[in-house]
Amino acid sequence: MSLVALLIVAFGGAFLTYFVGKISPKLRNCLAVVVSLLLVVITALLYGKSPNVTFYPGFLGIPLILRLNMLSWFFAITIVGIGLLSVIYSLQYVKKEERLDYYYFTMLFINASMLGTVICGDLISFFIFWEMMSWSTYLLISYKGGRAIAAGFKYIIMSIIGSLAMLVAIISLYTRFDTLEITALASQMQTAPIDYTLFILILFSIAFVIINAFWPVHTWLPDAHAEAVSPFSSVLSAVLVRKGMYGLYLFMYVILGLNILNKLSAGIISFNTVFCWIGAITIVFAALTALLKNDSKRILAWSTVGQGGYMILGVAFATTLGMAGGTFHILNHCIYIALLFFVAGAIEHQTGGIRDLNSLGGLIKRMPVTFVGGLVGICGLIGLPLTNGFVSKWLIYKTLILAGHPFLAFAAFLGTWGTILYGYKFIHNIFLGQLPEKYKDVKEVPFTMQLPIILLTILVILFGILPGIPLKVVDAIGTSLGFESLNVSIWWGIASESGTLNTINIFSAVLIAAIFVWILFRLGAKSVSVAQDDSYAAGAYTPVDKYHYTAEFYNPLYRMIKPFLRDVIDEFYYWIASLVRSLANSVRHIYNGDVGYYVMYIILFLTLLIFVQVRWKIW
Amino acid sequence: MVAKIIQIILSPILALIVGVFFLGLARKIMARIHWRYGPPLVQPVIDIIRLFYQKSVSHGRMFDLGIVLSLAGSIVVVLFLPFGRICPLSSSGGLLVILYIMLLAPLGMALSGGQGANPNISIGISRKLILSLGYEVPLLLVLLAVMTHYKTISIVEMINVQQSSNWSIISWPLFLSGLSYFLILPAILGIRPFDVSSAPQEISSGSMVEYGGKYLALATIEHAFALFISIALFVNLFLGGAANPVIFFVKMLVVFVLCLFIHAVFPRFRIEQAIKYLWRWPTLLAFLGLIIAAATRS
Repeated sequence: MSLVALLIVAFGGAFLTYFVGKISPKLRNCLAVVVSLLLVVITALLYGKSPNVTFYPGFLGIPLILRLNMLSWFFAITIVGIGLLSVIYSLQYVKKEERLDYYYFTMLFINASMLGTVICGDLISFFIFWEMMSWSTYLLISYKGGRAIAAGFKYIIMSIIGSLAMLVAIISLYTRFDTLEITALASQMQTAPIDYTLFILILFSIAFVIINAFWPVHTWLPDAHAEAVSPFSSVLSAVLVRKGMYGLYLFMYVILGLNILNKLSAGIISFNTVFCWIGAITIVFAALTALLKNDSKRILAWSTVGQGGYMILGVAFATTLGMAGGTFHILNHCIYIALLFFVAGAIEHQTGGIRDLNSLGGLIKRMPVTFVGGLVGICGLIGLPLTNGFVSKWLIYKTLILAGHPFLAFAAFLGTWGTILYGYKFIHNIFLGQLPEKYKDVKEVPFTMQLPIILLTILVILFGILPGIPLKVVDAIGTSLGFESLNVSIWWGIASESGTLNTINIFSAVLIAAIFVWILFRLGAKSVSVAQDDSYAAGAYTPVDKYHYTAEFYNPLYRMIKPFLRDVIDEFYYWIASLVRSLANSVRHIYNGDVGYYVMYIILFLTLLIFVQVRWKIW
Repeated sequence: MVAKIIQIILSPILALIVGVFFLGLARKIMARIHWRYGPPLVQPVIDIIRLFYQKSVSHGRMFDLGIVLSLAGSIVVVLFLPFGRICPLSSSGGLLVILYIMLLAPLGMALSGGQGANPNISIGISRKLILSLGYEVPLLLVLLAVMTHYKTISIVEMINVQQSSNWSIISWPLFLSGLSYFLILPAILGIRPFDVSSAPQEISSGSMVEYGGKYLALATIEHAFALFISIALFVNLFLGGAANPVIFFVKMLVVFVLCLFIHAVFPRFRIEQAIKYLWRWPTLLAFLGLIIAAATRS
């Protein structure tokens, strides 16, 4: 029954917030936080339980079911967790915006519908929640107006294509098996012919690959993430995009299962290799493209595209290690990318909407908490040891190398090194270097915006040092999908037949070394603190405000790789869009709304009919 | 347990001695090639000690912490790298972990330099990062070839196999990879023709420009460690490691002196030229090497 309660709180809370907002904005803000918090509490209490309830007996004769298992709990907790933090973050962030009732309502509504997609137990409710999610996301992406409307439009078109593919598949499944309940389908699909399975799988994959923004359907994501409101960018990037991963889990491993997937291969081309190479291309392409961007949120958006590649590399590989790596990476990515979008949002908020990396600088002195958050987030994104991203990437690399796929591993590594470059650029251009005169009075963000940043920073480091805690859950998911159990211990790292990873060892080594060096540093002669413009310039005059080298930070590299990095796919989609538009325009010449023309068409058509009858006498 | 603790203390000290010795040796050999007499071998030690007593300027908290992180990161890498038979922590995670911890030192340096707020630093770091992307492409291909060939990510196991049979560089599946690694070694070490990121005459030593006193001392120590790490990794992976530290040291010395000869006679590349070189021949060789390693993997 608690699942129904969860949904009632989620959806009811969203509507209630909207109406309360008409009475009192303060109350509305409190209510939004309380609802989000309540969702976190209920979801956390549901850990390890597996309820299964029919919440609506017959929708067109199909019962609608809610159920929970380890997989859906894992996704549910990320949704409600990030949802809570982004609502808290929003309190100050959107304070000065208009239409706040609408904003909070859509925000909570999206969370509720995402929650619905992961806890529903049949495909018809899955589809309904999925569509609610798509449409409300569209509304919130275009919330800011202007360029955001175009971005939202791009998103909704691609999303509808995916949804239609999914709808075709669902109808086909229903006509064939007469049920849409996931467990029933899972057993029925085992006996289905292989070409039918492939057909269904491809249709569903279209939907999920689009929402996951893998190459070549990545084009909606950078625009949408960059133009959305920052707290919502966090939600988009951390959890909403990963609903696609949930869908892939659901269809590849829950409904079809490993047996069928392994049969789907012809020679060296199998379902896994197709996904793996899509992932590899996504990683490299996104990492190199992000290098060329100068917009803080656009860089993060491209990194979201790229990190999706790592997940699919791990998950599509379908081994115990790979599965654990991919699943864990979903969680890790969720944590650090939310953190980074909060950081980018904080900068945007405090500097008056500046996202251009070339005009910022030196903010470490003004916004130290945000800086630490940004640094830790970037370290997680790179996958530096002692952050959570390292552990999941280690698992994925190890899977690829031991399974003898060095070229896939190379793509993954190359993506990481690209990440280092744009990650450092993000940190350097915003926080380091000289503080421009116009940002002298910038202040640290208010506490409600700091809180999500601090919490997520702690999580990145905690899961990096003690990966055993989340890996217990990840491992439970793996075993529930039919993989072997991973040998994880909270204190002794991840053991496997060939070498262990002990993050505690690394942590203590770094800590002791750092303390030792720090003592050495303190023992040396004292240093004098100097002003930022008191620096060495070989005696030359140092112009104030121009003394921060950020523009075209990787210029030599730009010149070399830029010709190869045209987003041909995006241009192709735009070409199709313009084609459709010109087609529609020419059609408009015929349907021009003038009644005289229509009368003429009717007369012409009748003349044609009469002519045909007189000439050939066919009626 | 006691033996392990002794190893943990011993290996950074040994690495430091070797690294600082290399710094001194480099100046001496360079001087001799230039027909000068050159400073005494212990000059770097004298410099480091002197620098600790000198005054310095600080540009802020990250300026201090970055340099500490950088040196600490280097020390940790040394703990993971086998030095002869001394390998205190090499069982945790293998080559993949080494590869990633090696990032801490340059990252620390970059963060510290970044707060220095000097355009020379920014240019130096940007060049350093571009150069590292340049040499990481062949390097990663080489490391993947090694890991694929030996079917393990543990560096100790690789050394054991090499000890019982041939060195990697003269066993044919890895010959091309080894060659490629040697071709990019000057770029990894940051010596000519790849010293674009320090380039004293152009950008006043790049990321080091704001350092003085103890900062410069720590940066020099870090540099010594970095020399040790890059060469030790090559020796471990391709020249068979060693059964004892002395032979290991001799192998490192040979590699280092070879690199110094390159350093002494080549002028500096521009950064584009460096990338073009790195992404052409070494990458091609490393790519072929990886194909061979993947194809011969039984």
